[in-house]
Amino acid sequence: MLRFLVRRVLGAIAVLFAISVLVFLIFNVVPATNPAQRIAGKNATPQLIKNVEKEWGFDKSLPEQYWTQMKLIFTGEVKSYNAHINVDERIVEGIPATASLCIGAAIIWLAFGFLFGYLSAVRSGGWLDRGLTVLALIGISMPVFWLASILLYYFTYKIELFPPSGYEPLSDPGKWFSHLILPWISLAVLFAGFYSRVLRSSMLDVMNEDYVRTARAKGLSQRRVMVKHVLRNSLIPVITLFGLDFGVLIGGGAIVTESLFNIEGVGLFTAEALKQQDFPSIMAVTLFGAFFIVLFNILVDIGYAYLDPRIRLGASAA
Amino acid sequence: MPSESEKSGAETTALEGAVVSPGTGPGGSEFAIVEADSGARQGGGPWAIAWRRLRRNHFALFALGVFLLIVVCCLLAPVWANQVAHTGPNQTHTLEKLHEGGEVKEVVEPSGKAIGPQFFAAGGKFFLGADGHLGRDEMVRLLYGGRSSLFIGIVAAIITTILAVVFGLLSGFYGGWTDTVISRAMDVIWAFPVVLLAIALGIVLAVGGLEIGPIHLKSSSLWIPTLIIGIVYTPYMARPLRGEILAFREKEFIEAAVAQGAGPSRIMFLEILPNLMSTIIVFFTLNIANNMLLEAVLSYLGAGVQPPSSSWGTMISEGFEALYSQPLLTIIPGTAILLTVLSVNVFGDGLRDALDPKSKVRFEARAGSSDPEAIGPV
Amino acid sequence: MRKLAIFLSIAVLAAISAVALAACGGGGSGSGTTSESTSESNAGGSAGEGGGSEGGTLKGAYTSFPDYMDPQISYTAEGWTAMRPVYIPLLAYKAAPGEEGAEIIPGLAKEMPKITNGDKTYTMFLREGLKYSNGEPIKAGDFKYAVERCFLTNSGGSPFYTDIVGAEQFAKTKKGGISGIKVNEKTGEIVINLEKPQGTFLNELALMFVAPVPQNTPNEDQSASPPPASGPYMITKSQPGRGWDYERNPYWAKDNGKQMTEIPSGHVDKIEIEVNRNQSTQVNDIESGKLNWIFDPPPTDRYQEVKEKFEGTQFKPEPTISTYYFWMNQTTEPFSNKKVREAVNYAVDPAALERIYTGQVVGTQQILPPGMPGYKKFELFPHNMKKAKELIAESGVKDKEITVWTDTESPNNDAGTYYQGVLKELGFNVELKILNADNYFTVIGNTSTPNLDTGWADWFEDFPHPNDFFDILLNGESIQPTNNQNFSQINVKPLNEKINKLAEEQLGPQQESKYAELDEEFMKEATWAPYGTRTLSLFVSEDINLETAIWNPTFETELTSLEFKK
Repeated sequence: MLRFLVRRVLGAIAVLFAISVLVFLIFNVVPATNPAQRIAGKNATPQLIKNVEKEWGFDKSLPEQYWTQMKLIFTGEVKSYNAHINVDERIVEGIPATASLCIGAAIIWLAFGFLFGYLSAVRSGGWLDRGLTVLALIGISMPVFWLASILLYYFTYKIELFPPSGYEPLSDPGKWFSHLILPWISLAVLFAGFYSRVLRSSMLDVMNEDYVRTARAKGLSQRRVMVKHVLRNSLIPVITLFGLDFGVLIGGGAIVTESLFNIEGVGLFTAEALKQQDFPSIMAVTLFGAFFIVLFNILVDIGYAYLDPRIRLGASAA
Repeated sequence: MPSESEKSGAETTALEGAVVSPGTGPGGSEFAIVEADSGARQGGGPWAIAWRRLRRNHFALFALGVFLLIVVCCLLAPVWANQVAHTGPNQTHTLEKLHEGGEVKEVVEPSGKAIGPQFFAAGGKFFLGADGHLGRDEMVRLLYGGRSSLFIGIVAAIITTILAVVFGLLSGFYGGWTDTVISRAMDVIWAFPVVLLAIALGIVLAVGGLEIGPIHLKSSSLWIPTLIIGIVYTPYMARPLRGEILAFREKEFIEAAVAQGAGPSRIMFLEILPNLMSTIIVFFTLNIANNMLLEAVLSYLGAGVQPPSSSWGTMISEGFEALYSQPLLTIIPGTAILLTVLSVNVFGDGLRDALDPKSKVRFEARAGSSDPEAIGPV
Repeated sequence: MRKLAIFLSIAVLAAISAVALAACGGGGSGSGTTSESTSESNAGGSAGEGGGSEGGTLKGAYTSFPDYMDPQISYTAEGWTAMRPVYIPLLAYKAAPGEEGAEIIPGLAKEMPKITNGDKTYTMFLREGLKYSNGEPIKAGDFKYAVERCFLTNSGGSPFYTDIVGAEQFAKTKKGGISGIKVNEKTGEIVINLEKPQGTFLNELALMFVAPVPQNTPNEDQSASPPPASGPYMITKSQPGRGWDYERNPYWAKDNGKQMTEIPSGHVDKIEIEVNRNQSTQVNDIESGKLNWIFDPPPTDRYQEVKEKFEGTQFKPEPTISTYYFWMNQTTEPFSNKKVREAVNYAVDPAALERIYTGQVVGTQQILPPGMPGYKKFELFPHNMKKAKELIAESGVKDKEITVWTDTESPNNDAGTYYQGVLKELGFNVELKILNADNYFTVIGNTSTPNLDTGWADWFEDFPHPNDFFDILLNGESIQPTNNQNFSQINVKPLNEKINKLAEEQLGPQQESKYAELDEEFMKEATWAPYGTRTLSLFVSEDINLETAIWNPTFETELTSLEFKK
C-alpha cells in the first residue's frame, strides 16, 4: 500500500510537471503576442517596452522564464499580466464559490441519479424504465449553456423568481441558496442523467450474478435483495465515476456554468484568464485543476481497492 | 489519470472500472471472443444477430432517422439558401425592408432588434427570423452552421478513432517501452482539464493559424477545432481499447496465432482488431455526440469555429448576447444541438444493446462521453 | 484615449487656450450652457441648494475592476473615473459637462503656470498647507516624484512626459531623478523644462498620471492599498478584482477644500463600488434601487428597454469624443491605391453601422469627432455603392485576397462582419479575423503581424486636444514596429510636418482651423473609412438626482456630483 502510494504520488508529480511544460510551450513557442507590448499600453515607446520586458523577465531565456514562473506560482507571488492581481490569491478566494456550486450540484445529481437509476433497474424493461431512459438521454444530450440560458431567461428575467446571478457567501444562507439553485440545476442535469444510466447498467449486471440469484432463491424479499445486495454492489462504478467527475469540477472545471451565472469561482477565473490569454493565470489554474484530477484519481484507486476485494494495490506494479 | 498501473488486468479494472466496466473482466468479453473464431470475419454471425436486434429497437431506428434527416437538411443548405431564402449565410441585411403582402417590415429595427420568424409569409425569407443587428437569415445560418457542427462532430470522431486504435494497439500489443511512452503521454492529456487544453490550443491557433511543414491551416479553418477535439478525446478511447487488447493478449486464439507464426501486424489487424469492432463502433457514435457538445463549448468561449462562419455553438454564443430581448436566437441553435445529440445518443444506446447485449462496453460511455467537462457541464 | 469617453456637445472656441491666457482668472464666470445651479452647489460643498440632500452611502458597480487603482499607472476610463475624486494633479479639468469640462483650472497649483523661454519652461507654485488624507503635508517634491514614479513603474502614461528634459535618460537608467523638474520646498515653486515646445503640455499636466503622491509610495502597483488622497474622498479599502470603498477625506473640509473651491467636495459620505460582471444584473439592481449608479452603459441587449423606460428620469445618453473607423494599410496592395480607399469610403454606410450599434454610434465620416476643438463637419464620401464599384473598376484591382481584422467585443465584431460583406461586394476575397479584445491592439499594432490589410479600430481622446488624434494616429513619424497606432501606416511628409509644427503651438482659434484643414486633407487621402462617434450613458437609481449629475468629457461621471434626492 505504501509503495503504491509513493509510486502514484511520484507519477502524479511527473504528470503535473509535464503539463506545466506543455502549457508553457503552447503559450511561448507558438507565436501569439508579446505580453510586454500589451502590458506597456497603447502609447508605449520602445524604451518603455524594453523596461517592461526587463521588469517581467521576458528578456530571459525560456528555461529561465519557466523556472521563474513556477517559483512564483508555488511561492504565491505570481501576478497576472492584466490586472496585476495575485493569481494564487484569486484562486483561493474562488474556492468557496466553486465548492458551493460543486457540492450542491453533486448532491442533486447523486440524489436524482440514484433514484432514477434504481427505479429504472427495478422496473427494467417497463414503461417507467423507458420514460426514465428518455429523460436521462435528454439530460446527457443537453448543452449546458443552453439549459443555463433558458433558466436565466425564464426564471430571472421573465418571471423574476430568482436573483439573476452572482455568488453570495454562505454567511447569508437564504441568499446563498437562491443564487445557487439555478446553477446547481444546470450543472446537475447532465450528471444526473449519466449516473442514472450507469447505476441502472451496473445493477442489471449485478442482478445476474450468482449470489443474487442465490439470495433470491433463499426467499429473501425483493426489496431486501435489491437494497442489500444489488444496490450495494452496484455502487462501485458510480462512486468511482463520482470521484473523477468531482475532481474535475472542484478544480475549476465548471467553466461555462460559472461564467454564465457569474459565480466568481475558480472556473470563472479560468474562463477570464483564457479569454485574456493571461499566461500566468492560465498556468496556475491549469495546475490547480490538474492537481485535483490527479488527486481524485489516486483517491478513486484507493477507494476502489477497498470496495473491491479482487484488487490488491501494487501487487503487480513491481 | 491513469497512471501507472494497468500492467495487469486487475489494475486495469481498478482504474477503469468506471470506464471500461467489468466487461474486460469476467462477464462480457467471452461473447466477442467466441464470435471471433466463428463469425466475425465471415460477416455472418454476430453482425447479423446485432442487426436483428437493432431492427427490433424502433426507438433507436427512429433516432437514426431523425439524425439522417438532420444531416440531409444541412447538406441541402445551399438549396434552401439559393432557392428559398435567396441569401447567403453571412450576407447582412441591416438596412433592408421586407415586403409581406401590403406590409413593409424592417429586417432590423433602429433599436437593433431583428425580425422574428416569418415562416412562409415572405416566401421563405427569414423563415426563422434574422439573427440580430446584422440581419442575417437565421434559418440559412442554422443550416450552414449544422454543416460545420456535423463536420466537426463526425470528422473529429474519425480522428479520435484512428488515433485511439493505433495507440491502443501499439501500446496494448507491444507493451514494454512503447506502452510506457504512449501511456504516459495519454496520462498527461488525461490529467489536463480537457476544455482547458482545447481552449488553450484553440485560442493560440486562432491568432496565427497552424503551419506545420507543407500543411497550412488558416486560423478560420474548420480543421483547427476538429483536430483539437479529435486529439483531446483520444486518451478516453485509447485507454479502454488498450485494456481490452491486454485482455486479448492472454487468450488462446492469439496464442494460437502466434504459434502459427503470424506476424505482429497480422495479429493486430486480423485477429485483434475485428474483436474490437463493436467497442469501436459504440465509441464512435458516442464521440460524435460529445464532439458536437464540445464544439459548442469551444465556440462559445471563442476558441472553436471562427465567425463569421456559423456553427451551432457560435450561433448560441451570438444569440446569448441578446438573450433577454431575443431569446429565440439562443433557443433555436440550442434545440438543433439537443435534437442532433439526442438522436445520436439514443441510436448509440440502441447500437450498444444490439452489439453487446451483455453490456460489455456499457460503461464506456463514460470514457468517451462523460468526461464531465467534455460533455459540457462546463 | 480609447475607452476614455468624453462629452463635449459643441466645439466652440478653445476653452483651453482661453484659460491658459487668462491664467489665474479662475472659472468663476459660470458661462456654461448647462445647469448653473450645479456648479454653485458643488463649489461650496456644503448643504445642497439644488434640491439634493447631503450624506448617505452611494452604491455603484463596475463591470470590471479598473486596470489599476494607482494614479500613476491607470490608463483607462474606469481608473480615471474612480480616482478623479481622490487624486488631484497640479492642474485639473473642471468638474463640468460639455465644453466647460475641457477647461483646465489650477488644482494643487495656486494658479495656472507661467510659460516662458519660448514655451519651454513652465513655472507654478504649490498651494500652501495642503495635506494628504493621512495628515502628512503635500510637498512640491511629491509632484516630481509622481512624474518619476510614472517611469519607475513603467506606466503606460510615461510616454506623455518624455519631452521633459532628462526624462528620456531617466527612463533608461531609472537613476538620478529627472533633471528638468526643479522644486523649491520652501516656496512651493515647481519649474519644468521641456526639450521642445509642446502645445499639449497643459493637458498632460492635468492628467491623473502626475497627481502628487507621498515620496514614500513604493515604486510598484499600489492597487491593493492606494496612496493617501489629496482630493475630497479617500479610498479606504480596495480589493482588486472585487471592489473598493471611499470615505470623505478628513483633511479636505479643513484644509485642501477651502483653497480649491472650484473642485467639488461631493455630496455623499461614503461610496461603495462593487465589481459585477453581469451587466444585466446591474440594470436590474439599478431598477430595484440596490445600486445607485453604474459605470458601464446598459448592455446592448437591454439598452433600448432602459432608454424607453427611463430616459430623462434616470437615464441620459452622453456623447463621447471618439471616432470609430476602418483603417486601410497603405503600405500594401490593394490599399496603397487611393481609388480603392475612396471606393471603400463610398461603400461603407454609416447608417447601417448606426443600426448595428443599436443607435449607440452616431454616423460621421471624418477624423475629428464632434466636440473636439477643430471639428468642422464635412462629408466627402456620401454612401454610394455604384460609385464605389466604378472606382474599384478604375483602379484595376481584382480578386485580391485581403484580411479584415476586428475584435470580439460586440458589436465591433458585427461591424467587422458588415465590413467584410461590403468588401466582398466590392469584389475582394475577404478573410475575417476576430481577435480577443484584450489582445487586439497589441496584435494589429505589431507591424510584423502578417496580413494586416484593413480592419476596425476606435479612438477615444486622452484629453480634448486634436493633436491627440493626429500625432498618434496619423503622423508617419509615429509608426513604430510594435505598439503602433498608425494602423493605416500613412506617411505623407507634408502632412507630418504640419502635425509637428502645430504640436508645438498652444491651441488657439487659428490652430483650430488649421486642425480642421488637416482633418479634411487626411480624408482626401481616404486613409480611414470613419463611420461614427460613440454614445455612452449615465444611468442612476430613482433616488439619485439626475439633473445635477455631471458627465465630464475626460472623466465621465463625476462621482462628486451624485446626490440623493431630498
